[in-house]
Amino acid sequence: VSTIPLPLLDAAEDPRRRPPLVLGDNDFATVTEKVCSIVERPRPPLAWYVAFGISSSLTALLVAMLGYLFLAGIGVWGLNIPVGWGFDITNFVFWVGIGHAGTLISAILFLFRQKWRTGINRFAEAMTIFAVICAGMFPAIHTGRPWFDYWLFPYPNQMSVWPNFRSPLLWDVFAVSTYFTVSLMFWYTGMIPDLATLRDRATTRLRRIAYGVLSLGWRGSARHWHRYERVYLLLAALATPLVLSVHSVVSFDFSVSQLPGWHSTIFPPYFVAGAIFSGFAMVLTLLVPVRSFFHLEDLITTRHLENMAKITLATGLMVAYSYGVEFFMAWYSGNPYEKFTLMNRALGPYAWAFWIMFSCNVVVPQAFWSKKVRTTPWNLLVVSVLINVGMWFERFVIIVTSLHRDFLPSSWGYYKPTWVELCTLAGSIGLFLTLFLLFLRFGPMIAMAEIKSVMPAAGLERGPHRGHGQYWGEIPHQHERQTEDRQP
Amino acid sequence: VGKEHWRSLDELADTPEFRTLVEKEFPGLAEDLLSPQTRRAFLKIMGASLGVAGLASCRWPKELILPFAHGPEGRTPGVPQQYATAMELGGAAIGLLVTSYDGRPVKIEGNPLHPTSRGTATALAQASLLELYDPDRSRQPIRREGGQEIPQTWDDFITFAGPHFARLQADRGRGLAVLSEESSSPSLARLRKRFAEVFPEASWYEWEPLSRDNEREGARLAFGKPIRPQYHFDRADVIVCLDADPLFDHPAALKHARDFASRRRAEDGTMSRLYAVEPVVSLTGAMADQRLAVSAPMVEAVTWAVARELSSSGLAIAGIGPGSEPADEGIRNFVKAVGRDLFAKKRAGLVVAGSRQPAVIHMMVHRINDALDNAGQSVSYLDDAGWSYRPTDREAIRDLAQLAKAGKVATLLILGGNPVVDAPADLSFSTVVAKVPTTIRLGLFEDETSRLCRWHLPRAHYLESWGDARAWDGTISVQQPLIDALHGGRSPLEVLAEVIGEPVTSGYEIVRSTLKEIVGGTEFEGSWRRALNDGVVANSAFKPVTARVAEGTRNVTIEPVAEGPPLRSDTVSVIFTPDPSTYDGRFANNAWLQELPDPLTKVVWDNAALLGPDTAGQLGIKHGDLIKIKRGGRELEIAAYLMPGQAESTVVLPLGYGRSAAGRVGTGVGFDTYLLRTTDALYSAAYAAVEKTGRTHELVCTQDHQAIDRVGYQERGTRIGELIREATLAEYRANPGFARDGQASERTALFASPGLTGEHQWAMSIDLSACIGCNACTVACQAENNIAVVGKDQVARGREMHWIRVDRYFAGKPEAPGVAFQPVACQHCENAPCEQVCPVAATVHSDEGINEQVYNRCVGTRYCSNNCPYKVRRFNFFNYFKSIPEVEKMVFNPEVTVRGRGVMEKCSFCIQRIEAVKIAAGNDRRPIRDGEIVPACAQTCPTRAIVFGDLKDPGSRVSKLHADQRSYSILGELGTKPRTRYLARLRNPAPKLGEGS
Repeated sequence: VSTIPLPLLDAAEDPRRRPPLVLGDNDFATVTEKVCSIVERPRPPLAWYVAFGISSSLTALLVAMLGYLFLAGIGVWGLNIPVGWGFDITNFVFWVGIGHAGTLISAILFLFRQKWRTGINRFAEAMTIFAVICAGMFPAIHTGRPWFDYWLFPYPNQMSVWPNFRSPLLWDVFAVSTYFTVSLMFWYTGMIPDLATLRDRATTRLRRIAYGVLSLGWRGSARHWHRYERVYLLLAALATPLVLSVHSVVSFDFSVSQLPGWHSTIFPPYFVAGAIFSGFAMVLTLLVPVRSFFHLEDLITTRHLENMAKITLATGLMVAYSYGVEFFMAWYSGNPYEKFTLMNRALGPYAWAFWIMFSCNVVVPQAFWSKKVRTTPWNLLVVSVLINVGMWFERFVIIVTSLHRDFLPSSWGYYKPTWVELCTLAGSIGLFLTLFLLFLRFGPMIAMAEIKSVMPAAGLERGPHRGHGQYWGEIPHQHERQTEDRQP
Repeated sequence: VGKEHWRSLDELADTPEFRTLVEKEFPGLAEDLLSPQTRRAFLKIMGASLGVAGLASCRWPKELILPFAHGPEGRTPGVPQQYATAMELGGAAIGLLVTSYDGRPVKIEGNPLHPTSRGTATALAQASLLELYDPDRSRQPIRREGGQEIPQTWDDFITFAGPHFARLQADRGRGLAVLSEESSSPSLARLRKRFAEVFPEASWYEWEPLSRDNEREGARLAFGKPIRPQYHFDRADVIVCLDADPLFDHPAALKHARDFASRRRAEDGTMSRLYAVEPVVSLTGAMADQRLAVSAPMVEAVTWAVARELSSSGLAIAGIGPGSEPADEGIRNFVKAVGRDLFAKKRAGLVVAGSRQPAVIHMMVHRINDALDNAGQSVSYLDDAGWSYRPTDREAIRDLAQLAKAGKVATLLILGGNPVVDAPADLSFSTVVAKVPTTIRLGLFEDETSRLCRWHLPRAHYLESWGDARAWDGTISVQQPLIDALHGGRSPLEVLAEVIGEPVTSGYEIVRSTLKEIVGGTEFEGSWRRALNDGVVANSAFKPVTARVAEGTRNVTIEPVAEGPPLRSDTVSVIFTPDPSTYDGRFANNAWLQELPDPLTKVVWDNAALLGPDTAGQLGIKHGDLIKIKRGGRELEIAAYLMPGQAESTVVLPLGYGRSAAGRVGTGVGFDTYLLRTTDALYSAAYAAVEKTGRTHELVCTQDHQAIDRVGYQERGTRIGELIREATLAEYRANPGFARDGQASERTALFASPGLTGEHQWAMSIDLSACIGCNACTVACQAENNIAVVGKDQVARGREMHWIRVDRYFAGKPEAPGVAFQPVACQHCENAPCEQVCPVAATVHSDEGINEQVYNRCVGTRYCSNNCPYKVRRFNFFNYFKSIPEVEKMVFNPEVTVRGRGVMEKCSFCIQRIEAVKIAAGNDRRPIRDGEIVPACAQTCPTRAIVFGDLKDPGSRVSKLHADQRSYSILGELGTKPRTRYLARLRNPAPKLGEGS
């Protein structure tokens, strides 16, 4: 049997070869140039201004909505008794879920030595930070008296009152704040070498000072690299359990209650799978246009996109399985309330929401079985946007359909959002995009230092590490070579 | 259990139209929250008028109302005091006990010594407190001259009235007419005598839109003399109500309900059996064991058939000729069962006809009761000398209108009432008023009538003025003021004394001299003080008489009505009913009552034309459609509500809405059904045409906020049997523990719950056999706990604030449903789901078993409400008290925090009352007696369905009731261990008719 060598450029079709992670005629210098030039060009392209204009207007809308909310009260939303949570907590869970992809990519894939992550991890981590900012806002504003939100923190006080440690909402406070802190540190730590690169290339005084402060005196010495890699590894190890714990804790908000449709042991894994599902979809949604707009196809290759599509498909199947299990348990448990809640979800007044969720989360991702779809960026974009819609509706369906008809039929009600809630949702998307666009403009959106380590020039193909991926802390000569190549 | 339940006929039929309706329920999202029609908007307006309120109350009080500068001896500031008084409605009084803080009445309860009330009070009586503080009440006399309103003082009026009435007096009162409400006041009767002496040629008319004239005339026909029947439901084994609602719509309803409930608990294994025949669905009908829905004209035929049935059993009932059997088999069987039961329970049966029924029916009923020897047992008679012949209200108002239109009335004095709105439409009373040169109106509000009169005089509220009134059994109560007139109003007695030119015009002196005449004796001061203290004048009831059907009338043959011609499909008969919230319209500006859900429809801030399901189906009318009802050249546009169980071909029109000048709360709310009410059809009209307009109107309900779909409808059907456990008497005897069958035993908890170590363990028991769904508890709670009124738009969003609600469920066939009521407040679960989830520990458990809500710790996550299986928690979505006028703030109970925006609230078992008793008992170093602590809901419950007490005391009533065989907890299988338990409902259907007839 003779083999015909085929020009395999951007795929892992030849199982004997690892395809390159950076395509094209790139070396360290061109990578640096590509990434830094986006930040360094004197003014961003018009499209950036358009996008920023829209998103910052939406952010302004968010500020206005919050002002109105704080002045008038929660009544400006459509909530009622029995539906005490609506868009507020739906948005919270949605945004927290989005965040998970970033941590998964940067921490878990790091520990699993998935080299391909280097192309997208910075980007995904940034998304995590901004999503968690959006998420954290909602629990803070959804309270009736937001000016007393600080009572949720355990601090010594003159009232001698602790918060209620049995309440899942309190666990949320800890989980989300921990998650945000660790994610932020992880993101920032990883960014230090790249910020130093920007500092070194800075042409204006302002940039020199700003990036100089941010890069914390990084000089790229071996000691710096050593410390850096140790810290990065430790933070990855710290962040990894958080990927699982944060959304598990968020799901406790529901599963710890006794409400049919919420009170379910499947929620923690179901929520984590859903979070990764939605997070990857969001990374794809942002990556596909950014990659093409800034011409980063060499660094963020089709293989990256395909890998993400595969993870999306896998987690999507887990989510679909969870939906199935919910229905199975409703039937198998013999609990009439549970059974009704699920029937009511699928056939009741909110059936439209359920079927949007079902179509977007179960039917649409099946397109990823097709390699053509997985490797066509604009197809990916369509599917991932639909998944985002579906995952938002998943949270809406879980929260609202369970609440609106619980135990006593006399108290059944219906919830419809007001324009304030719709504008607040739009505003939170605006805030997210605004932060993101600012990051694209002022931060290194691709982890230059890391991506260089997976380029052939790093020399990691040779020696004892061949085929195993790298572990920066143990490859002394890597840095010698790199520092030679690098611009001082 | 397992019956089909539904909400509306549309729902049951699941028509395609209904499906589209359900689909349409999903939002127009852009609905503006703050439409200008909202309560919030008018609250803003209210703010403007508050300054005046404080100033107006500065009049230096006279007589026994003393300013606190000269505080009575022994009085401790801040300690509430209770005073007895009375409220008259429709010519009969309910004795009240009013709680006053530092001279400010804040809560109305029933007077325990009053024969009607016995400590309980109706929703209307309790809510009349808010009327006292209504910022829309008129504040000064107004003279209208050539379209101009000229503010006047009382002195101006007296300057005008003195010579004016002196002139009339010189003319022997020719051209003077007085129109008053019906009144039982002995003082008013005395002044009327004086009036007749001073103005011999003047005429006096009484008009009450909802009168009991038919009853009075019927008794006169039957007995030949003025007799007032008194019903004793506690002595009746078989009760037959013919279009009657004695448990709710009757001057002695509180007593009736109390007596009735005493025979419904089957404590001795027996129960009374209640039959109801009615075209409307009344609360009495909802409690009936056998209910027959017949159209209005058929009630007469059924009465007749019952009489004939009894007569064929061998009873001598005079004046019954042969007649045809009712064609309908269901009616025939019903009549047979009624006849059988009444005959078997001679001397322990009771037949009652309602005030809408014509006098002949009342006469027939008296004959039946007489023939069954029920007289002296379940019904007794009082000699009502005060009823000596006077024209009926219908005749009175008609005569007055004719006289005035003929130009024979020169001066018309209108004392109270609101005839421009509520007089029969064919008299067009506004033109009557216009015909009279001098019209003087005394009224609480500058309403529709006042705006057409030359003089408007502000009336003092009954809580501000001296008066007296008789209960339904004749017992006199002194109406004692609790506060000086806030806006300088005067009572009808005072105005009348002024008009007559009495030397004494103070209400206090008038009432005192009347009582002196009645009570007499040398020790009058003692009797007077006793009467003020007790709220009743001892031994002042009418004299009991042993009346038999008068010989002379025995042979009056009552012509039985035919079954009535078959109605054309597009014509209906119309019935006018009092509205449970506004009564005849006088309470239209009362926000507590406007937001109080109708007991059966659960509609708030509206009235609606109630149609039977089939009729609506035939006419193609759906819930919320605006329909046009035409009758004799008059027409009315009103929203339709499909009422299960209502007779077909019948439209029920509650009165008292659609006011054009009620005030900021009531103006423009609902539909004015008086437009169709004419002198010949005060209570029902045989033919009216119904048309659809193609438009709809949003009817807002506190239950079933939205139309329900198939899935929800079916599920509700399966759940109600679990929530409201009920059994027939026979089933109960066979298996007394039926209520706990199928109730999962308290499951073994995984974790030991922390012990409740308090000295007391508070608990509540609610008897579903006794609850008649009258809503008195809801208003009591609203007044006691400073509960906000949120307005129609907020209720439409599902944000009503009532801490105790009365859930209403229908069961069975839509034509003949069973109706069940279930009051639900916080269940005070020992293992409360709300407590665990609150992140800031704002809802915690007391060691005495009370689930406490700490308002100032609450941040408002609403998680507790989400996790409450009973959905009894209420959230302040806005600051609902933000712009309450100063005068309305006086209604607040100072013992209870007024909640601000963003906090959760709920029933506290009236913890302020618990603490007050605990402190008092502690000071006296004595244990708390069972029954000493009474939450507001239990205090006012007319049937004593709600019992509160200490579970630690094995002898307490609540301990015994919790141990009762009928006791069960709702959703007990969740392991919440609720401290409120329910006693299963018992029904006593006639064996041969089966359930639901």
